[in-house]
Amino acid sequence: MAHRGAEAAVVVLVAATLTFALLHAAPGDVGSALGEGVAPATRAAVRARAGAELPLWTQYLQWLAGLVRGDLGWSTWQQRPVAVMVAEALPATLWLVGCALTVSLGVGVALGRWMGARAGSRGDRALGTALLVAYALPEFWVALALLALLAHGWGWLPAGGAASELAAYLPPGARLADRVRHLVLPVLSLAVVSVAVVARVQRSALREALAHPAIRVARAHGVPERRVRQLAWRAAWLPVLTLTGLYLPALATGAVFVERIFAWPGMGRLLLGGIDARDPALVAGVVVLGSALTAVGAACADVARWLADPRLREDPRG
Amino acid sequence: MMVPPPAARRAPLIARLVLPVALTALAAAACGGERPAAGTGATGGTVVVAVSTEPLTLLPPLVNNVQEQMVTGLVFSRLAEIGDGLETYGDRGFTPSAASGWTWAPDSLSIAFTLDSAARWHDGVPVTARDVAFTFAAYTSDAVGAPQASQLRGIDSVTVRDARTAVVWFRARSPHQFFDATYPMQLLPAHRLDSIPLPRLALAPEARAPVGSGPFRFVRWDAGARVEVVADTTRGRRRPALDRVVFAVTPDPDAALVRLQAGEVDVVEGITAEQLPRVAGAAAVRVVAVPSLQYGYLTLNWRDPQRPDQPHPLLGDVRVRRALQRAVDRGALARNVFDSLAAVGVGPAPSALLPAELGDPTPSVSVAAANALLDSAGWTARAPDGTRLKDGRPLTLDVLVPAPSRSRQRYAVLLQAQLAAVGVRLVPQVLEVSALVARLEARRFDTFLGVNAADPGLLGLRQSWRSDGPSNDGRYASAAFDAQVDSALGAFDPATGRRHLLAAMRQAASDVPALFLYEPRGMLGVHRRLRTPSLPATGWFQRLADWSVDPAARLPRDGIGVAPAPEGPR
Repeated sequence: MAHRGAEAAVVVLVAATLTFALLHAAPGDVGSALGEGVAPATRAAVRARAGAELPLWTQYLQWLAGLVRGDLGWSTWQQRPVAVMVAEALPATLWLVGCALTVSLGVGVALGRWMGARAGSRGDRALGTALLVAYALPEFWVALALLALLAHGWGWLPAGGAASELAAYLPPGARLADRVRHLVLPVLSLAVVSVAVVARVQRSALREALAHPAIRVARAHGVPERRVRQLAWRAAWLPVLTLTGLYLPALATGAVFVERIFAWPGMGRLLLGGIDARDPALVAGVVVLGSALTAVGAACADVARWLADPRLREDPRG
Repeated sequence: MMVPPPAARRAPLIARLVLPVALTALAAAACGGERPAAGTGATGGTVVVAVSTEPLTLLPPLVNNVQEQMVTGLVFSRLAEIGDGLETYGDRGFTPSAASGWTWAPDSLSIAFTLDSAARWHDGVPVTARDVAFTFAAYTSDAVGAPQASQLRGIDSVTVRDARTAVVWFRARSPHQFFDATYPMQLLPAHRLDSIPLPRLALAPEARAPVGSGPFRFVRWDAGARVEVVADTTRGRRRPALDRVVFAVTPDPDAALVRLQAGEVDVVEGITAEQLPRVAGAAAVRVVAVPSLQYGYLTLNWRDPQRPDQPHPLLGDVRVRRALQRAVDRGALARNVFDSLAAVGVGPAPSALLPAELGDPTPSVSVAAANALLDSAGWTARAPDGTRLKDGRPLTLDVLVPAPSRSRQRYAVLLQAQLAAVGVRLVPQVLEVSALVARLEARRFDTFLGVNAADPGLLGLRQSWRSDGPSNDGRYASAAFDAQVDSALGAFDPATGRRHLLAAMRQAASDVPALFLYEPRGMLGVHRRLRTPSLPATGWFQRLADWSVDPAARLPRDGIGVAPAPEGPR
């Protein structure tokens, strides 16, 4: 575990360093990021306030020293500590990605189980084709289509934001209902693709498990079919757990664009805003946190596999 | 790297993470209990405005974009406000605001402003002359870098005669000195800000929770989501017709339109020609035309991008510039891109601020004349693709286009086609804004599709087009134009000023520093329940305090969180 932790730390550091360097290599700086039509004196004042004239190495080492102390740095874009900005935005993204992951796993596993148990049937083939189409759709396209249909076309759901503009004045129950209504479209946008992935992996794993000699032996011994399928699914669950760990970064990446379309006040907004504003500390801070969370997610998936698979627990190398 | 304040550097991580969040939560809870006082009858209602980006600061001298101006325009006030006529000669076009009156010195080198005795900051403290002096110091500090600083160069100082009298001293007499003293500055509360060193003004808590003296009081700013202001009913002056304005951050323009049609927001700005049919088809929404002081142009770089001390190898020749001018059909371009939502540009200023007798000083479109000009300049040979050649060099120009602007991208493609007809190859380079500005600052471009927003006094003419103007991207240099502009802006007699302005515009049409392509008409998508007064050209949001909601068409959300309260005087 310590080895995995060290690996994760190196990955996070390399990702942050590359982000820092690439953002500086990109044309423009905090002054030019103010946009067109801004007086040169204003740009100069903003550059001076941001310390943009300092050499890249000095800026990087200052940021790295802060990171070691647990300080994510200072945002030149919003003139606030990055840690405060991240603390405001992170809960919204975790809430969104967490719900999307829950829906993906719940629906994906259920569909995969149903298809795996009826492999080759007409229903399996039809659902397989539908999932393939869903898998091929980009998240932002799904988001725009859902927005047009469910928010604009039928008016069933709100079109943007994490809450209504005046939600702060609603009673607690109404406020919760309001938050859930705002969650539906972004979660659906993220989950459509990942449900397809999870279902296909689950179906394939279940088919392999059902064809395993141990299952044939169980059937030959007269174990009820319901129990047989339960045993097979337990074995087929492991690839899904592995996939979950690997799929977290993709889900987080998709969330960046979905957050923009639905005006969701999360980490994606910070990341895109930081890039536009050429704010190296903010972008690197978001990347550090995103990488760290991805590493934690992958580690959680490993632990879950370890708990679910007795072979891993008995393997001294595991 | 920005050096954070010492407290932020020394505080342990847990304090920096948890404390602000806890304080924010407490503040939110407190705000949740702070119910703005509702209006009755004709007053009352909530307007939700969709804005494309979140403000970065709400301190007026640091404000750089329209979204920030929308909020500060409601929360802060000026000494006097300019009228709809945008008259900047003397003081006759202005109405009192924080100042109830003013007295000119006999030599016109100072104006004593008497502050309204009813003017209060939203924390209850009276507005005083000390606030005016502090405001001037903040706006003119190099460390602050206020965009309006250059407009204040004509003011020498601001002194405090007594608590209610601030005296603005000018370096010289000028026809626009009252405008200079009032329009650029929104008053700042000295009692809350003067203990902060000006270089650290951006870090003041008031940058995210401003205390102003305007018609609306700041209530909350939910990061990434919304800013809310409510009518200030405590002051003795005029009460806004609305109870509350909420600015809802909606970055995606199509999503903003969906929110408007769904009734989630009441106002969406920047409706495009493509979106118009959708808005027109929505029963609850109407389109409101917004007067604008913007104009779009194709800047021609007069200097060599590689060797700035040399003229541009192609565009340094006036015959080439005039050929481009004659080859481009501006009317067809404007109709194609904007339909009826733009007029043809007439010069380096919007036609609303130019004398009507100017007409369009640009020669009419003529491909034959353009070809003749290029032939006379020696561009007679042709490459296989039709591009003109001179000494083996092709007549190829790049054009910088900002990626977020769909209209300017379309302009680039259409210009490419029109100029190809006379053998000029135009190569669009669509760049993200920061990269584009970096190229402009380094002068590494041939042409650039830009948009400028003029100020009522046309003082930006000097900034953008005079030979020594800091924002003169194309390095236009014409002593005749400079002299006419100086004479126009310095004339005390409006008729004389108009005459020089006409001459300056005709000089620009002859020199061709740019192709002045269009003047966009802004379009707002507005919910039908809103009653809008005439919208000023300085920004549709400037008069939000005068907007109202039809009492018969109020929505449930109009009353959420507002408590009945006695009205202030109207």
